[in-house]
Amino acid sequence: MASLFKEQAKLSAYRDRRFSGTQEEFEEALRTSSTVYIGNVSFYTTEEQIYELFSRAGEIKKIIMGLDKNTKTPCGFCFVLFYSREDTEDAVKYVSGTILDDRPIRVDFDWGFQEGRQWGRGRSGGQVRDEYRTDYDPDILSVVILFCLDGGYGKLVQKELEAQRQLVDYGTGSLGGSYPAPAPSNYERRGGPRGGGGYGQGGSNRHGRGGDFHRKRQRDDDRYGRDNSRRNSDHETRRDSDHDMRPEKNPRFRESGDSDDDGEDDRKRS
Amino acid sequence: MSNWKTLLLRIGEKGPEYGTSSDFKDHIETCFGVIRREIERSGDQVSPYLLQCAEQLPHKIPLYGTLIGLLNLENEDFVRKIVESVQANFQVALDSGNCNSIRILLRFMTSLLCSKVIQPASLIVVFETLLSSAATTVDEEKGNPSWQAQADFYVICILSSLPWGGAELAEQVPDEIERVLVGIQAYLSIRKNSSSSGLNFFLKGESENSPSEKDFVEDLWDRTQSLASNGWKLDSVPRPHLSFEAQLVAGKFHELRPIKCMEPPSPPSDHSRENIGKQKHDALMRYPQRIRRLNIFPANKTEDVQPIDRFVVEEYLLDVLLYLNGCRKECASYMANLPVPFRYEYLMAETLFSQILLLPQPPFKTLYYTLVIMDLCKVANKEQRALPGAFPAVVAGAVRALFEKISDLDMESRTRLILWFSHHLSNFQFIWPWEEWSYVLDLPKWAPKRVFVQEVLQREVRLSYWDKIKQSIENASALEELLPAKAAPAYRYSLEEGKEKTEEHQLSAELNRKVKEKQSARDMMSWIEETIYPVHGFEVTLTVVVQTLLEIGSKSFTHMVTVLERYGQVFGKLCPDNDKQVMLLSQVSAYWKNNAQMTAVAMDRMMGYRLVSNQAIVRWVFSPENVDQFHMSDQTWEILGNALNKTYNRISDLRKDISNITKNVLVAEKASANARAELEAAESKLSLVEGEPVLGENPGKMKRLKSTVEKTGEAEVSLRESLEAKEALLNRALSETEALLLLLFQSFSAVLKERLPEPAKARSLEDLKSEDENSSAMEVDTENGNPKKRSEIGDREQWCLSTVGYLTAFTRQYANEIWPHMEKLKLEVFSGEDVHPLFLQAIFSALQIPLQ
Repeated sequence: MASLFKEQAKLSAYRDRRFSGTQEEFEEALRTSSTVYIGNVSFYTTEEQIYELFSRAGEIKKIIMGLDKNTKTPCGFCFVLFYSREDTEDAVKYVSGTILDDRPIRVDFDWGFQEGRQWGRGRSGGQVRDEYRTDYDPDILSVVILFCLDGGYGKLVQKELEAQRQLVDYGTGSLGGSYPAPAPSNYERRGGPRGGGGYGQGGSNRHGRGGDFHRKRQRDDDRYGRDNSRRNSDHETRRDSDHDMRPEKNPRFRESGDSDDDGEDDRKRS
Repeated sequence: MSNWKTLLLRIGEKGPEYGTSSDFKDHIETCFGVIRREIERSGDQVSPYLLQCAEQLPHKIPLYGTLIGLLNLENEDFVRKIVESVQANFQVALDSGNCNSIRILLRFMTSLLCSKVIQPASLIVVFETLLSSAATTVDEEKGNPSWQAQADFYVICILSSLPWGGAELAEQVPDEIERVLVGIQAYLSIRKNSSSSGLNFFLKGESENSPSEKDFVEDLWDRTQSLASNGWKLDSVPRPHLSFEAQLVAGKFHELRPIKCMEPPSPPSDHSRENIGKQKHDALMRYPQRIRRLNIFPANKTEDVQPIDRFVVEEYLLDVLLYLNGCRKECASYMANLPVPFRYEYLMAETLFSQILLLPQPPFKTLYYTLVIMDLCKVANKEQRALPGAFPAVVAGAVRALFEKISDLDMESRTRLILWFSHHLSNFQFIWPWEEWSYVLDLPKWAPKRVFVQEVLQREVRLSYWDKIKQSIENASALEELLPAKAAPAYRYSLEEGKEKTEEHQLSAELNRKVKEKQSARDMMSWIEETIYPVHGFEVTLTVVVQTLLEIGSKSFTHMVTVLERYGQVFGKLCPDNDKQVMLLSQVSAYWKNNAQMTAVAMDRMMGYRLVSNQAIVRWVFSPENVDQFHMSDQTWEILGNALNKTYNRISDLRKDISNITKNVLVAEKASANARAELEAAESKLSLVEGEPVLGENPGKMKRLKSTVEKTGEAEVSLRESLEAKEALLNRALSETEALLLLLFQSFSAVLKERLPEPAKARSLEDLKSEDENSSAMEVDTENGNPKKRSEIGDREQWCLSTVGYLTAFTRQYANEIWPHMEKLKLEVFSGEDVHPLFLQAIFSALQIPLQ
């Protein structure tokens, strides 16, 4: 194991304000934890995609999607709990900075999931943690492509990441577990704030996977509908569209005050 | 990081530390200037860091060696201490069997010889000690030939350090090095060729399978001989010491003290094949072969380098992978910038793929190599100098080459290739020239190429989503047929307009309502037992319950987990035995028939909650409808693999717990013994209480000591109890494993016996491949000018090859767990009269037991 370059690497660049112990205890928690925090996830990414990717690091115990506390929809982060510490370390080492659903995700050790942490802590309900994305080496994150399609050498295609965002109902339909106490109408998917054809009309029979399904197709239609030539299309980057859609939620304004306040809120809630 | 450390770390690299110069001589001089001063200031810190650099960046060993040579001219004492540490570390590595340290330190010592730090004769003594240990080990009478892996490893270490100092040895101690080489040749004549079919990437045709095939040691020996005949000249190892030769000759040699090699264990008392095989297996686990060459590129594509240079570059690459694991940027950058004057991207691709596919298992998870390949594809673009933009194309070439040989590729390796490829593409926008492969659609459903494409697409969809992957194959839209079904569940009781509502629909709706009302599992169970079961019988009850509960949990992984947590007992109560659990699994598979991932995940979770046993899963996998699909899809194999993996993981967890608790018990024992001793000592002391001499120290202290004795005693007892509990659990798990393995091998044996041709007609798997040339070459369509298939293999033959392939893969993967149950397995499965010889052959080759 490489130790020469390790001293330069920090356990985690992020210090969770909700962690009640000292810095030492926090670091100890990170050193022994078998939970990872995954950030910069697409709002569309499903638990099953996370499962497929992270099960390549090891056996997964649990997945907890981070939800916007207002809309109860995925808002770009999640927790994965492994059985073994070794697998947890591998997930951090080998998955962080790679692409899932067109986005470079980041994977950090997490001090341990607790009820309440699934809610986004930003003022608008989304996640605050987005701000420290920048400490990654941009070269590693930049997406550079790949294979010469015509068999010739060195013909590389560079393409910007793209993704669009549409809110998707998620939380209101979830079962208990680590999610909030389920209401009787638990398994029904309620209409959410997104528009668009066919969504949420699955009725009682197809509320489950059917939902995902429509959602995916819809996303796809949106993305490619106007421009069928995928490789030439010029898309906005996802981050830009994040900000376009919710300009009030610029996380950089909220580094100190808000997250603590939100933490208070959450504690009261639980 | 302080300046001197950075200089040591970055020596030989292009970067800010050394300004514009890329000349090794300049680097060494600059570094030397700083380090010599630093030794005076903080001498104690320099040498450990220097050694750490040399050990973890072995491709820079000649630079560090030369630097130490220069230091030796001024500060003999400092260098003497370095040599002593190297030697001490080397002995520790030998004692603990730490392969990487042994190998690297021996190379480092050889390099120190080049810079006149180490006495050549004393290095020869080290070589000869290793060699004599190796020769003794493989000696039938004095040693233990089943421990040949260790002997081979020692000889590999000697051979693999010669590129770093062969020329100097030949110049300074020609007779001695000649003696070593003669000794190695003698060793090669008494050892056994170890090229074993159980670990080959490809199922070999008969011509290649001849016993004359060279194994790793023999191959390295050939390369070394050709190096020697070339005057020990090679391109891949820099020789910076030559620039300083005039100074270095003045250096004073340091001596190496004699070393001691590890003694192999004594041979098994009875020489049964199994016992020898077991020892051989243990030795191979301890001294695994680092690489198996994967020759996938045509000779005109690969770099034209000397055989030994190829070996050295492989060493560099494997060491960067090993030591820079977890340091993403550095790893990619060192891989791409090795200190060699030739291009090596084909070699790098072959080395990386040889690791992904390595059997029985590579040092790291596939995930790691996936990351490295991705990063290299990007580095290649950035640093045109090192790898002129071609690496992505080389990777693509490797994929094409492996695809062409996919029908011969080992099943385990093939599975890893699928996982790697789908993951890799997911990071590069799923771009691949699929049209090149669209012809696989014309192949029969079981054709390995077709199954490969289908499984890659399956994994892609799991990592992404159906429409996206469909889009990605638009250039080969025919391949859509190989996409998995859209992922929706097959719910039987959906209430659609105009569709008849059966009684089962109503039951399902009722059940659904009860879940929403949050009825307890117990209430639900009694309702089921009272109202459904008696009227409708088991099958309908099971169908309704499984369909309804899975539907409720169908929305996501977490939904499913929650339903299983809340209502799992309902399944448990309904299906208490293996027979019923097999039916339960069939129901799960029916509900999720359009979604392989959810089927696998659901079954995995159900096993996790002990709602179904691992044996039930094996039985379900070997049920007739699944058996028919064995060669057409990986789905049931994935499920079987998960079940074995989960079983194995729980055993490993228990072992880990037990080893931790055992350690704690020792600590607690000590604490409690200390406390008792202290109390006794105190009790025997006389002290004065109110002027009277009394036995025992003052009451306060006595009380405290007594309570400590009590507490430590209790702690010890409670640890012992939890140790006993864990051990009982482990014993139960082990006996369950035995039952599982028996069932697994019986099941394989039974289905294979049914379908394999008579033993007389099929003595080897190759016979299967050739036989079909006549029987089934016809069913190939040859329209549209698609590449014509030579002789596509028949349905039954491919079934046999795939099934035997998986049998081999599972046996090899879990060899460690299989060995302890060997007696029983031999008695109950392997020695039966009607066991097919090919079945046994697969098992023996996977376990590396010699065939007679």
